[in-house]
Amino acid sequence: MSNPFSYIFSCLFVLIAHAGMLVNVFFNGKEVDTKEFVILCAAVLGLDIIYYFVMLFYKQHTYTVDFMLLLVLNMSVIFQSCFGGVHLSMKHYITCIVSLIASRVGYHLVRDHRWIQSKKKYVWVCIGIMMGVIVLFTGSRSMWIDLGFMTIQPSEFIKPLLVIACATSITEQQNKHKFLQFNIVWENIILFGITAAVCLLQWWCRDLGSIPTFAAIYAAGFLLRICYPKAKFSNKTLIGAGVAVLIAAGIGIYLAPDYVRARLFVNIWDDTTGNGYQQSQALIAIAEGGWLGKGPSNGFLHEVFAYESDIVFATICEEWGLVIALMTVVVILLIAASPLINPPLSYFHGTLCAGVCAAFTVQMALNIFGSCNLIPFTGVTIPFISMGGSSMATSGIMAGMLTAAQNPVFAKMKSAKPKKQKKVTGGQPA
Amino acid sequence: MYDNGLIFCAVTAAALDLCILILIIASYREKSSSRKRWKSFSSDMELFENGRSYYLGCDEVLIGRHGSADIRLHDMSVSRYHAIMTITDGVWTITDIGSKSGIYVNGRPVKQKKLHENDIITLGSRRLVFRKRRDKKK
Repeated sequence: MSNPFSYIFSCLFVLIAHAGMLVNVFFNGKEVDTKEFVILCAAVLGLDIIYYFVMLFYKQHTYTVDFMLLLVLNMSVIFQSCFGGVHLSMKHYITCIVSLIASRVGYHLVRDHRWIQSKKKYVWVCIGIMMGVIVLFTGSRSMWIDLGFMTIQPSEFIKPLLVIACATSITEQQNKHKFLQFNIVWENIILFGITAAVCLLQWWCRDLGSIPTFAAIYAAGFLLRICYPKAKFSNKTLIGAGVAVLIAAGIGIYLAPDYVRARLFVNIWDDTTGNGYQQSQALIAIAEGGWLGKGPSNGFLHEVFAYESDIVFATICEEWGLVIALMTVVVILLIAASPLINPPLSYFHGTLCAGVCAAFTVQMALNIFGSCNLIPFTGVTIPFISMGGSSMATSGIMAGMLTAAQNPVFAKMKSAKPKKQKKVTGGQPA
Repeated sequence: MYDNGLIFCAVTAAALDLCILILIIASYREKSSSRKRWKSFSSDMELFENGRSYYLGCDEVLIGRHGSADIRLHDMSVSRYHAIMTITDGVWTITDIGSKSGIYVNGRPVKQKKLHENDIITLGSRRLVFRKRRDKKK
């Protein structure tokens, strides 16, 4: 470990932050059962301590993303455990642990960029498999696979795969091929095709809220490709791409189902029992919560559908106040922005970070602005905060990718013709 | 709520604020150790030309005339995307990425070549020396 003091202080202050929140729950919570409270404390603080020891086995140069991840995950456990009464939300607690494990998976998957770039065809195959699963098992009006004891949203798992696909294609920009009159990079065509297919599939499943997230991941990769050698994107190409996006959005709105168009143009205060119900209740809750909130488990929003996922920001605002809710958002933004402090050292990892950052930011914006009636309500989750196993797992994987980008492996690259190169390197001056 | 609640909310917010601050400070401290690691890995090399040095700060460094190049050489004899330098196990390699005037290392034309300290790289009419990074304060 290169910075033992940073590690110890980070551990200590994450623990203090969670302890502070638990104190608030105990003194401000509604009819707090001591037994339930002790279980919640043991779960949260126990996970903190276990994670510190587990992380000691990983020889990383930076642990900031890991500690921020732990901070926000246990914050979400405390939030979710206080909605409608103080008791440990075991389901969310387990998904948080899954998210932490998933972050380790993501970390190992993309740490060595040369290895993952050599396996990029498998990434495309995985995306194809996930799309096949959606077509076969979810149906045209659903996005879930019901396994009885749990439900899975397969489209969520495409997000990290698409981020990796964008990043692996970045180094292929030099390999142009002549096709008719055009110089074509096949990877760009494939990537665009994959993104378009995923978006169409989401349309078919009526999971329209996820489309902006996929589009944002692709756009981040597209924009970074401009900076890559030999990309040669002209201003005309950029303007053309912008116009194409606007036309696609216009066609999308025109062809959107009735219920979507109703949401786009609804005045929530004229329809407080119909399409505007969740948003109007969310806005009332945010206003009632004020800066400091009503206190954990003292709100009413937990009686509204999707209070723990789609309008979770409003539920937190109501019970914990706008200050704590905004600080939660800041922590997630800091996770996404951590590569700005510790920049990645390769184009692959740079693109990876941009894709993850785009996905997190768009998801948060859709959820928060949707809850506040600034944009139409989409039903997208906030990463790490909203309840939902698939979302938590994929968010964990993407956070692990950010850690990997800041702790890269520079593995030995196999040289195709080592003997020829030796001949060339003959003239070495003194 | 607002009698004791205000105090406990303030305590919670302060604890979170402090934690976020500590994590940001820790991140900056870790950044310096990452730089040290990079220095030891990359042999801390630079390209030097007429009193100006270009630090090789990542594992793929693009050299060219284009604004997006990591090392930008304002010279019409240099292609917009001229060469790329990569590092593997502490050894830097320069690769021609389709330039018009080519790359010369120590006067010999090359498409790809492993670099050694004090190699002279010629890109168009520009001559760069590949050398150990020197402390400017000295």
